Amino acid sequence: MTPGRRKWLIAMIAILLATSAWWQFGPRSPAPWTELDLKVLQRLSLDSLPPLPPDPTNAVADDPRAAEFGHKLFFDTRLSANGAVSCATCHQPERRFTDGLPKGRGIGLSGRNTRSIVGSAYSPWQYWDGRRDSQWAQALSPLEDPAEQGGNRMQYVRFISTDAEYRSIYQELFGPLPDFSDRSRFPLAAAPLDEPKINAAWMAMSDEDRHLVNQTYANIGKSIAAYERLIMPGRSRFDDYVSALLSGNDEASRTIFTDEEILGLQLFIDEARCTQCHNGPLFTNNEFHNTGVLSFPGEVPDRGRIDGLKKVLADPFNCLGEYSDDPEKRCPELTYVRSGIELIGAMRTPSLRNLGGTAPYSHKGQNESIADLLDQYNRAPLAMIGHNEAEVKLKLSRRQLTQLEAFLNTLDAPLATPDKWLRAPPQRAEQGR
Amino acid sequence: MRRLMLAIAVLPVVCSIMAVAEDENTGQSWLTRSGYYRVSYTPSLEPLTINKIHSWIFHIETADGTPVDNATISVTGGMPEHNHGLPTDPRMTQSLGNGDYVLDGMRFHMRGYWELTVTVDADGRRDTVIIPLTI
Repeated sequence: MTPGRRKWLIAMIAILLATSAWWQFGPRSPAPWTELDLKVLQRLSLDSLPPLPPDPTNAVADDPRAAEFGHKLFFDTRLSANGAVSCATCHQPERRFTDGLPKGRGIGLSGRNTRSIVGSAYSPWQYWDGRRDSQWAQALSPLEDPAEQGGNRMQYVRFISTDAEYRSIYQELFGPLPDFSDRSRFPLAAAPLDEPKINAAWMAMSDEDRHLVNQTYANIGKSIAAYERLIMPGRSRFDDYVSALLSGNDEASRTIFTDEEILGLQLFIDEARCTQCHNGPLFTNNEFHNTGVLSFPGEVPDRGRIDGLKKVLADPFNCLGEYSDDPEKRCPELTYVRSGIELIGAMRTPSLRNLGGTAPYSHKGQNESIADLLDQYNRAPLAMIGHNEAEVKLKLSRRQLTQLEAFLNTLDAPLATPDKWLRAPPQRAEQGR
Repeated sequence: MRRLMLAIAVLPVVCSIMAVAEDENTGQSWLTRSGYYRVSYTPSLEPLTINKIHSWIFHIETADGTPVDNATISVTGGMPEHNHGLPTDPRMTQSLGNGDYVLDGMRFHMRGYWELTVTVDADGRRDTVIIPLTI
């Protein structure tokens, strides 16, 4: 190599090194946000979360005594067929009320991934397919699901009426319990379930007696819901970042987010189109979308909302049903709900708050990590049934995907709910879960 | 001359862009396809936002400005870009008189471009208009 060439080469290497150093360590570009971006960010901030809407279908929704009762019930494994499963088996507070499994595991294997209950009081629909329309109607469902708590409503209302502590709390909240002691009227096990014996016993009961059981059963759900209404997301680094931005504190905002996180957030609200569905302070519109998540090999594709809609309309514990406490039956969501072919294979948008600690993801836990989840949108596969609404491939680079993931991890935060609600109540702690 | 022709050629495009821009404002009115009715609306949410169920008041007039009081109104809608409809099935629940009608159960769940198809039926005359709307 001639000395001239060597000099030229050294100069080129020096320029290259200087450029990379500047890229890595150079001064940060000022916050890139436009006025419109700031509006979008403000709408996503927890500071924009409205007060918890009342639940007129649940008369004890905001009664602290009901929340205490619901707290006990939530952690009580006696509310199951085998005495070993409670709500908290799948909704584990330390995992942001999920279970870390692809599909929930109670007495058996549940059909879908366990959704968190954090902030679920804000949603007009529960479950991936929205087959229940309130937290209290939802709470009743796993109690009788053979794969979850696996019991029957007759068993549960008898348990409440015979346990001295629960009997007393229940009566203080809801008035006198019916007398369920007559076995000729109230058999040991009865409920409108698929199990033929239990169903036959239910069908043999009088309408009046079935109503008494249903009413007591509904109150169990309403108490659990009063507890679940307290489970709220906490302020994350993202919320602090937006707050600093909006107050014009540019310096503070730069110390809160890294460049990678800022770039990820930019992608989130713009090129990656995430806010089309993950909008609002809970990062969800609580509506139903088919995003083409494929089934596990050998599994029949999940029909999602198209079936969930039929189920919620037929649920006797729905907003329009006789067990709703709203005398006016104001149920706009259920009254004006709409069906349509786009609901085939559609699932309710999950919140992205606390995404980091709640893997695996998607309705059957198909995506093991955030990277897998993002890859799903990058590839935009054809839906197995129905139509993938997110059919336009994102085509983000590997680096952009990393940035997006970095931003999503800023949404992790300890819950805003006081600690006492996040562990089993003392008197039941010895029972574990 | 060439400039003039160019101006004439782009005029319809400019006009249609302006029309869309106007259409996106509440308080505007739209003539139905066959020209029977003029339709305007006022959402109960101000500003109009997503994820909240609410009602709209529709005002229906004949093309010459007479309020229509015996109409039936139906509304469907969707986002052409996403190939999906409204998440709800809004329905007319009340006629307030003077051509005003309450439509309950409106909700949008995504920001972006929507199209609402409003069908007005009165005195055996049925007519439709597509209203563009960006939220």
